[in-house]
This record gives sequence, structure tokens and C-alpha cells, in this order.
Amino acid sequence: MEYKCPADSLASASTIPLPAGLTLPLEVRVHGRGGQGGVTCAKLIAALFTEMGLHVQTFGDYGSERSGAPVQAYTRVDRSAISNRNKVYRPNHLIVLDEGLMGAQVMDGAAAGSQVLLNSRASLESYAVRFEHYRFGVIDATAIAREQGIGSSSVVIINTTILGAYARLLGLPLSVLERAYASLGLAGDLPAAQQAYEQVHVSEPVHGDFAPAAPAASPSPLAVRSLIAHNEDIPASLKTGSWSNQVPIYSEHSAPCNLACPAGNDIVGFIQALKNEGADKAAAILLRTQPLPSVCGRVCPAPCMQGCNRATFDGAVNIRSLERWIGDHSHTALAPQSAAQRKRVAVVGGGPAGLSAAYQLALHGHAATIVEAGPALGGVLRNGIPEFRLPHEALQRDIERIVTLGVEVRCNSRVDKVDMKRLQLEFDAVIVCVGFGPAHTLGAKGETLDGVEQGLDFLDRMKRKRVVLHGHVVVVGGGNTAVDCARTALRCGAASVKIVYRRGREDMPAITDEIEDAEREGAQILPHRQPVEFTGAGMVSAIVVAEVGAGTPDASGRRRPVVTQNTSTMVCDKVLLALGQKSELDLLPDGWTMRDGRAWHGDRTLPVWFAGDCATGDGTVTHAIGNGRRTALAVLNGDVLPDEAPAKRVAPGQIRFSHFDVTPPHKDDQTARPALTFDEVNLGLASAEEAARCFSCGHCTKCDTCLICCPDGVIFRTADGYRVDGEYCKGCGMCVAECPCSAMEMQEKNGVAA
Amino acid sequence: MTVELLSANHGAALAATLAARANRKGRGFCSGVYPITPSTECMEYLCQQTIEKGRVIRVESEHSAMGVCIGTAAAGARTFTATSSNGLAYMFENCIAAASLRLPVVLAVANRTMGPPWNIWADHSDALTLRDHGLIQFYCADNQELFDTVLCAFRLAEDRRVLMPVMVNMEGFILSHTVAQTDIPHQAQVDDFLPLTDIPHRLDDVPHTLGQIEVPHQTEMHRWQHHNAMLDVLQIYAEIQKEFEAAFGRRLPDAVVAYRAEDAETLIVSMGTIGSTAERVVDKLRAEGQRVGALRVRLFRPLPTEAIRAHFVGKKHIAAIDRNIGIGLGGVLWSETRCLADPATVMQDYLAGLGGGDVRPEHLVKMLADLVPRRSAGAPAIMEAV
Amino acid sequence: MNEPALGGMVGTPLDRCEPLFRKGNTNCGGCGMSITLQMLRHAVGERRVQLIIPAACAAVAGGTFPQATFGVPTLMTTFASASAAASGAASVAALNGEDVRVIVLAGDGGTFDIGFASLSAAAERNEDILYICYDNEIYGNTGGQRSSATPAGAVTTNTPDGKAEQKKDILAVMAAHRIPYAASISLAHAEDTHRKMRTALDQKGFRFLHVLSPCPTGWKSEPALGLELVRLAVRSGLFPVYEIFDGKRHVVNIEPDFTDEALNMYLSLQRRFQKSGLSASDLRPAIDRYWQNLRALSGRIVPARRDA
Repeated sequence: MEYKCPADSLASASTIPLPAGLTLPLEVRVHGRGGQGGVTCAKLIAALFTEMGLHVQTFGDYGSERSGAPVQAYTRVDRSAISNRNKVYRPNHLIVLDEGLMGAQVMDGAAAGSQVLLNSRASLESYAVRFEHYRFGVIDATAIAREQGIGSSSVVIINTTILGAYARLLGLPLSVLERAYASLGLAGDLPAAQQAYEQVHVSEPVHGDFAPAAPAASPSPLAVRSLIAHNEDIPASLKTGSWSNQVPIYSEHSAPCNLACPAGNDIVGFIQALKNEGADKAAAILLRTQPLPSVCGRVCPAPCMQGCNRATFDGAVNIRSLERWIGDHSHTALAPQSAAQRKRVAVVGGGPAGLSAAYQLALHGHAATIVEAGPALGGVLRNGIPEFRLPHEALQRDIERIVTLGVEVRCNSRVDKVDMKRLQLEFDAVIVCVGFGPAHTLGAKGETLDGVEQGLDFLDRMKRKRVVLHGHVVVVGGGNTAVDCARTALRCGAASVKIVYRRGREDMPAITDEIEDAEREGAQILPHRQPVEFTGAGMVSAIVVAEVGAGTPDASGRRRPVVTQNTSTMVCDKVLLALGQKSELDLLPDGWTMRDGRAWHGDRTLPVWFAGDCATGDGTVTHAIGNGRRTALAVLNGDVLPDEAPAKRVAPGQIRFSHFDVTPPHKDDQTARPALTFDEVNLGLASAEEAARCFSCGHCTKCDTCLICCPDGVIFRTADGYRVDGEYCKGCGMCVAECPCSAMEMQEKNGVAA
Repeated sequence: MTVELLSANHGAALAATLAARANRKGRGFCSGVYPITPSTECMEYLCQQTIEKGRVIRVESEHSAMGVCIGTAAAGARTFTATSSNGLAYMFENCIAAASLRLPVVLAVANRTMGPPWNIWADHSDALTLRDHGLIQFYCADNQELFDTVLCAFRLAEDRRVLMPVMVNMEGFILSHTVAQTDIPHQAQVDDFLPLTDIPHRLDDVPHTLGQIEVPHQTEMHRWQHHNAMLDVLQIYAEIQKEFEAAFGRRLPDAVVAYRAEDAETLIVSMGTIGSTAERVVDKLRAEGQRVGALRVRLFRPLPTEAIRAHFVGKKHIAAIDRNIGIGLGGVLWSETRCLADPATVMQDYLAGLGGGDVRPEHLVKMLADLVPRRSAGAPAIMEAV
Repeated sequence: MNEPALGGMVGTPLDRCEPLFRKGNTNCGGCGMSITLQMLRHAVGERRVQLIIPAACAAVAGGTFPQATFGVPTLMTTFASASAAASGAASVAALNGEDVRVIVLAGDGGTFDIGFASLSAAAERNEDILYICYDNEIYGNTGGQRSSATPAGAVTTNTPDGKAEQKKDILAVMAAHRIPYAASISLAHAEDTHRKMRTALDQKGFRFLHVLSPCPTGWKSEPALGLELVRLAVRSGLFPVYEIFDGKRHVVNIEPDFTDEALNMYLSLQRRFQKSGLSASDLRPAIDRYWQNLRALSGRIVPARRDA
């Protein structure tokens, strides 16, 4: 292409002065990649000099190159018509659109003092020595163009951007570009040019002896093999990896279930192990963080399942029951490590938090002693959760696994303030896991009547010895204890059971499945009601409940219950209160305080930690387990709780749903539901097939999808995953886009010059 | 050896059939064919033959006919096709592809005027469009020569030193449809004469690509290699003439056929059947005491420049008779050979028989009558205007 | 999940040890033709194969002399001659009793347009050829001009306002030749692709595979999203995935969900449709009509479009 310079444009040319120090004829060479706009870049330069009334000539070195392949384009500028029809071999100005092109041949023929403009994210200084003989400019045009959305993510078009830097290098105002851009319909890219104009860094040449590299000699023509002798396999040698500035990497991301698990279980890890290698291998992963899989697999509210990315597709993976499957079907235990310095730690309280803390201590090779007030370990698991939800054997199996690790157990030892001080001296550290304090009361009239009982007491009583109930039972509360009380009451012979809860049914903190089970079994839920009075002659015989309205939202976003004057009276024979428990610690010696999970004496920390409900009040077994573990690790590591930096969370949009078939979740087996006995209601999964439904969010399953869809066949299997051949990968990103589980990502190549 | 009455078209097809059968122990024979007047008979005859390990594919166009031949030759088989005028033009790019891929396709062309306006009669302008693209070109003057040349074409095309297509030209109707006695060799003789086809760069099991992208210097060198192989054909043809004679007991005509030319003052140079007419005229004029001779350029590519130059030496007048016209310049034979004449020689171009008109002895006599008085050459002249 | 069939095969003895299409090729990143060839590798296994390629991006992809990008013997032909040359090569293989699959790899230009006559003739003669058309709906090799495979509404360099005419229904045309096997292929469904490629490889006579081949350069789309675009074209019903036996028996392989959401997503992810502002409602009637016909051909007396 050649622009003729019309006579009348010479007049307008006066508006753009010739750059100072410009010697003519000028030869410009642009090195770029197919699709980056190198040819347009050279055209724009030609258009720019046309504006100055000069003769120009510009052309691309066309080949069969494809998007991303190295290409060259040239512009010549002179005062008179240009007759040279050859490529540019001795450029005065070199523009390199991609630092990945900076091989030796790019500088061919460029004499000392030539201007070199490079698109690179690296600093001017990093190139200082290499380009000391040139007037050298560097600009991160890719970043600017990408930010301005010019081109696609794998091939960013930077020609219009880098020319802003070129104008600066020429010492011209940016405005000179306006007409040139407009002439090629690229006026929209001027803001990018503006940024480049402002951000380019330039270094002046160091004068000294320097001979430019000679242009590469043409290959000897005689070396060409005859077509009729061409019957040999000579593989392609083109290293297409240099075409791209980005490469795919295999990178783990956080699955929402893992992030949601209060116990810190590697859920994806254990489910994938279960799927691929069976329950024992899965247990080996699960047991790292979870000492009570058979328990949690039954009673955990499973926040993991709420976060599951499969939930919006065809239903969350039944993670809780898979955990249970592993707990019930594995026959493995982790071997304790040996600690360099064995610590002796007392754990006060043998509930979930205490068991978890002691387990972790023992696992890490330390001596843990559980001091338990009750006759046996388990805490709420033993005396709170009913048998039909958590059979004794399941609990016992988990506890035995812990004790077998070498945990010392002292039962029937209630710790008071004096004991506390003694333990602190006797042991290297003490972890207090005594759970909640006494249960809340309602403070309503008649609460002390016979027949009004704390639900926890009732459940505990029930677990020791079979209780028989008659008549109508009212349970007050909406948590798991309330639901457990209701279901237990039904099993003890109650004629009817009503659950009175002050908020809506959807607000009940109990596990949804349990609520449904309770209803199915006959319990009736009366939401938005609160007892205001219990009546009866010695024995409770009726309960007055007020309707509760919704007030302003509280900090959690739930509407504050407002008790109204509308009341009604219900006949009842038994009231069970399940209103939660107080956070009270009666074993802190005088002068001790609890702060940030530790005991303090004044402003001095003591080697006494708190874990579980007594420290956090989270109220679930799983939270207690997680907190117990983290506290144990904190004890071992010193002061600071180990901070597990979560990797990027995998959102549902990052999962390729199209790679998965719609398969509804495997439900727990409840077909053998007995007629309200204390046998376990939920029999769990019939098989571990549910594990196959796990998307394995953020974790490579070695499914080969990346390998299959790689257009260039540059992904290979290795012993432990895959390898991308970076020498040939064109960085198209197909593997990342197609990865079913978001276990890959694109990474910019190192922008620093070699 | 048997003598059969055959048209040249049938002769070409029969020669191809014998060559095809001769490769039955090799990779066989396969061709794509498509009819066009006046070469239709040739493909029809071929399609009526039974060829062991052979297949003739009746395609939908000349373009595909040569396309098939490219595929079969690339797969290592012997291959042959026939066409005329627009058919040749339609297969033009594939003829070049076959040549540039260095594939030994034998192509019989019944030369015909390019249309429209439609004209089915003889004219060399169709074949001459392909003179620069690496196909060997023979122009024949009689049935036997045509038959022998087709047979020899396989030998030449498939020679390891050559490996390029060979076009064997016969003027449409004038030769293609003329029936005459033709000596037909036995299959065994042909088997002995033609080695099994062996194309070194064929598609076998080695991953390699025929016809892929080349950079300028590679193409330059491939053209140069092609050109040099083509030049070598002059020598290789001479070798094949000897072997042909040994195999069949008769001599293949030379690349350039001279007739009473040695002591001639005036020479008629032509191609194809006009050459035989010229020989008759030479006899007539010699009888009248004129020192006239004739030269028939049988092998037009490669052009045997040294042989032609040798025959041109010392001639006072040379009449180039062209059954073709390079519009804007003149006859192609004239334009290509005039530089081979001595500076003192008056070499005049006469365009004769364009569009298939009969070129009779009296036409040639008139031309010579026009030529001999000339002291310098004029612009190419057309027969009717002389 | 559609991975296990292939996932269990790649890198095993069932797979071809050498690629058909080697690294170091010059195709654009994310090219559908490249993916087609990688899929074909898995399907081909250790069968003997020759490639015949007309002028096309695939011809350029063959690399520069004398290096071989294709891992099998390959012949580059003139634009319109692939089917003819393949007829010749396949015949010679047959004459010599060689168990070689001759495969034509041609773009939509070489198939729908300039190569159409020789394709039709080879199909009519029922030559023993596997013809694979990677259809990127554009003349990619010449920089992006319309072909008769370009869909209506797509901007190309010679239809700056969007093409006015509809895409040619090549599969119906091929079915009309009553060839033993014709099928459309969705690269986004590897298992189905693989099965049909193997079916086609082992069938005798003329076999035709029509591959919707994403072209980031011509479609003006993100290279990484190529397979997703194909998936959307299939899901929406725009690209029906089916096979035809002997020109008669039609079998739909993948049921679309016919959602406008998929169709609009397909259109919006490609800048070639930006100017004409095409939306699902513009395309839906033609898609519905096509599927009604396809249902009838496949012998299913059910509505073309299931209500979700």
C-alpha cells in the first residue's frame, strides 16, 4: 500500500511539525504476531507521516501465519516518492509488539542510536544493558489494551496503544495521532494511546563502539531437497509456545463444601478418595481433621451441603451420609506421629471439642488427658442426642478410635476452680472444652410447676433409662434439642407433641431433615408463638401462648420477635424447654479471665485455652470439632491459631455443568422406618455411589477433559496428573474453559526479559 | 506384433491399456476420465478395456479427471487421461499441480480450438497454454507415432530422473479420428519395455506431505530442479529411443524430425500433421529444383534448441507454420524458435489452419512463394492473406 | 459425565501413539479443525490413514516443506479436487489390497462451494472415502469471506452488513446421495464424536462427517470458548447432531433443550452476529421447522420442541 501525498495535504501538514532530529529516509520495522495488528500498526505510522506531508510506503510481510504467529510489517518515509520495494533490513525505528518475540533476529540490522520501542511489562532498567546503544522505550501496552478491551483475552490487539508511546518517542504531541486513527476508523482506541503516551519510559543511548547485527544470511538455495526425494518424516519444529503470553496451569481452588465445613474437613478429598479408592483411603483423609465421622455423618447440620455447587444443578451431594458411610465402613485409623518434644496437655471435658482436641494432640504425638465430669466420654453426644439419631455403637466406635490413639481418660472428675489451677501446673497446657453452661429458662409464670422440665434433662434421663410419657407434650424452642425432645416424647408414649417456636418455621435452627422427620412422626409445629404462662395445680395442665409478631431485623437479619397480647391456651401434660444454654464458666479461678479463646491473668496469658461451645457458642458438634482441632494446633504451635489461607472459591458458574449428567442425589435409606422405636431412623446410604456425583470443585479428577479438548495435543499425562508442553502451547485457554471442575487457570508468562 | 486399423484416439487408449496392464505386478493403474470432443473416443475405448489391477473412474469433469490422476499417481499407480481444448483448460490448474508435484501422469490431448464461440476442430492453442508449467509436450504427425509416443511417454514420465507429466498431442479429427494401420506390440513386449511404476515420493506409510507450503527460495529451487530435469529429458529421450527400438524393432522419431533439410536453402518448420504436409511439399518443390527442406518439432517441451539451431544454420529462409496464435505476438512456434535462426536468415511466421482449417500443400507452396523473395521478415502473416 | 469413554482411552494402547496433527502446527489457538484432528487421533487408533486436503486452513496447517505437521502421509490438492484425488488414492489402495483409510479433510469452502461438484460425484460413485468437513462457516484461509455455509446474519469481510442468505443444508444434500453414512458432529460431545468417527472409519463406501468447527478468528469469539459455542449451538437446536444411514434412516444423537437462553448466548458470544443484531426469536422459526422435518425423517411422531 502506498499513500500518495496530495498537494493540498501539504498545507494541512503544517499543523504537524516534523519531529526534531528525524532523518529521512526513515525505515520502520514492526514485529508482531498474527492478529495483534502489526500491519495496521505500520499503516498507522504511515498515516501519521502522511499528515506531515511526507511520502510513505507501508506493507506487511504476508505469509500463511495464523493468529499468534510472528509477523513483520514495514513503513518507509521520505521527502520524495519511494521506489524501494524490498523489505526493511536496516530499520531506524523498531517497534516490537510482544516481548516474547525478542529473539536475536528482531534486532537484525538496527544500528546504534536507532529507536527501539518494546511492549513489555518489565522495567526499563531490566533492559538497560541490552539496549544501551539504542534509544529505547518500554511500555506495558498489553495491560493497557486489555484494560480497554481491545482484542480477545488470548490475543490482545495493542497496535493502537503502542503508537501512543511511539508519538512520545518521536517527541510529538499525542494529538498527531487523532487524524491517523480516524482515517483507519480506530478513533475509539485513542484513550489507550493516551495512557501509553503518558506511561512510556525512555532511555537515551550510550554512545560507544557498536556494530549492529547483520541481517541473517539467506539460506543457501542449493540446500533445498527435491520434491521427488521428499519421502522422509521430518517433524515440525515450529515452537508455537512463543505465540502466547499465557499458559494454563493446574491450580487447586477451594470447593465451597470445604470452605463451609466448620470441622475443616477436606470434603472433596475424602469423597474423591471414596469414589476412586474406597472407604479406607477416604477415611485416611477424613480422619486427619475428623475424629468423629460416624457421629458427624449423622448429626451434622451439613453446611457443606448448603454450599454444594451441585445444589443448583440437580441437588447437593449427600455429603453428610458419605461421611457416615466412611465412618461406618472403614477399618482404618491414622498412626500417631512422633513429636520432637512431647507435650502433656489436659483437656477438660470429653464432648466433641474435647475429643477433637485430644485426638489432634495424640495424633501429633503428644500426651493428652481428658478430664471428664461424667461417667463416660461423649458429652452431649452421649447424654443429649437420642439413640434413634445416634446409636450408641456409632458413638462408641468413634470414641474408641480416639482413645486407642493413646489418650488418657479420667472420668467422673468434675473440674472446679481449684482443680483448674492444679491442672495448669500439672500439665504443659490445658484446653477447656466444657461446653455450654446451664440451660436457659423462660422466666414465665408457672415455669416451676411439675411437668415443666428442661429438654436436655429429659433427653439425658431418657438415655439412662426409658421414660414413659402420657398425654399432650409441648416442646418450647426451635433448635435440635427441641426437635429431639419432640421426637423422643413421641416415642415415649405422648398422645400429641407440639413444638412452640417464637419465629417462623423456616427460621428454626434445627436440621431441616430432622424437622421434617419430626413432623412426619406426628409432631406439630406452632410457629410465631411463645409461652407466657404455665398453669396447673402442682402439675402443669395448660400453657398460655402469645402470638409473636415480626419486629425490626436484628444483626443476623432475622426479624426480632415481638410478643403480642393475643394469647390462647392449650391443654398439656408435659412441657419440655429447649431454649438453649448459657455461656457460663464456673471453673475459672478468681482473677482469671477468658479472652480470644485463652485464659488471662491480668494482661498475662496463661497456658490455658478454651475450645468448643464454651469458647465460641457456635452450638454444633462440627463447629466444636473444628474449634477443638484448631485450638489443639494452637497449643502445639504457640500463640497464634494456624491460619488456613483459603484458595479462590469455586462458584457454580465456574463448573461446566454440561460435562455432567443430571443424576438426582442418592437419598438416605429410611424405608425401614420403624414404628417410633428407638432404633435408628435413618439407615444412611445403601452404597457409596453418591460419591460419583461430587463435582470435585477446584480439584483435578484426572478426567482427561483437558487432554481431550486441547486443540494442539500438548497436554500429556504424568504419574500424578498432567503436563502442559509450554514450548508448543498456544495459550488458547480451551483446557481451562472446559475443565469440568475449575481445577485449572490461565497464568501470564513471566514478563521479565530473559 | 499385430497390425490393427485404429484411430489415433483408440491408438492412444490402446497404448495406455497396454501400459496399464504392464503395471499389474506393480501398484496397478488408475485414471479419471471425462469425455470431450474430439478426445472422447479415447476415454471410451479405455473404458471398454479389461485391465487387471486397474480402474478407470468416470468422473464429473476434466478438473476431477486430472484430480483423480493426481491422487492415483500420488498413491503410486500408473495413470493416464485424455482431453481436448476447454477440457484441458478446465483441468489446467490440476495439470500444473500434477507437474509441480512431480507426478508422472500421461495425458493424451486431441488438440482443439478453445471456445466459445464453439469450434470443435483442430488448433494447437489449447495445449500451448500449458507450455510453461513443467509438462513434457510431444506433437505427433501420424497414428503409429502417436501410439509409440504414448507408450514411450509412460517410460519417460516415470523415469526417476524425470518424474513429471507427459502430454502427447494429436490434432483433433485430423489425427484423432483418422483411422490407419497401427503396429501393436504384444503385452510381453510392453511389459519388458516399461518398468513397474515406482514413484519415490508417493504416499506410503511414512508421514510426509506432498504439496505443502513452501517459502520463496524452496519454490525457486524446486522450479529450478524441475527445469533441469526437463532439460535432461532431451538426453533421456534419446536413451529411450534406443531401448524402444530394441524392444519393438522400430525407431521412435527424433525430438526434431528433419526432412531433406541438410542442404536446403529454405526450411519449413512446423508441428504435428502440418509437418507431413510439409514433407510432401518438399518432395514436390525439390522435384522442381528448389532446395527446400522441412523440420518438424515433435518435442516442444523441453524445446530441443540445440538440435533446431543446428538445422537452422545457413538457411536463407525459414517459414514457421503455426496452427496456433499467441494473440498479440504471433505463432508460438515462430516466437520460440526465431532466436535460434542465424541473423541473416529471413524467418517468417505463417499462421495456418487456425480453428481447424485444412492446411493443404498449395497453401505451403504459396507461403514459400511469399517467403523466398523476401529480404527481411515481416509481421506474422495469416495463410489466407498470403 | 461424558469423559469416561475417552478418558479411559487416551494414552492407552487403544489410542494412536503418534498424533495425527502434531504440535508445532500453525493453526490459530483454539481452532476447531485442530480439535477435530485430535479427536480423530483417538478414533483412528492404529488404523492406516492417508489424508487428502484441498486448499484450506488445513493445507496451511500442514506446515512448511519439508516438515510434516500431519503424522500420516498427506496430499495437498487444488481447491476443488480433494474428492477426486481421494477417489484415486482410495482406488489404488483397494487395487493393492491395502487397508488404508483415505480421509479428506476439507473446510466448508472446499466442501459446500468450490469442491461441491467433485464431492457430489465421489459420493454418487460411492467411493471408499471418509470425507470430513470442518465447517467454520467462513473462508478462513483467505481472511474470512462468506461461504454457502455461512449462516444468515453473520458479518464476513465480503458481507459487511451480515450475510442475507441461509446456510446450505449439507447433510441433507449428502443424504440425497444415499451414501452409506453421513453424520454431523459436535466437538463438545467427545463421546458421540468418537463413536461416529469410528463408525465412519470402519464403514465402506462414501462417508461424510460434518463438524461444526469453532473459529475464534472468523467468529470473533474467545479462543477458549470454542467448544462452549458448539455446545450452545447443539443445545439450542441450531446445530442438529444426527446421523443418516444409507440416506434413509435418520437418528438424532443429541437432544437439544431448544432454549432461547442457549441460542442468545451462542449469538452474543460471537461478534460476527453483533451488527445484524440477530436474536433467538429470529432464528427460532427456522430451527423449529428444521426439527419438525428431522423428527419426521427420524420416524418420531413427537413435537419438534419439548416444552421445558
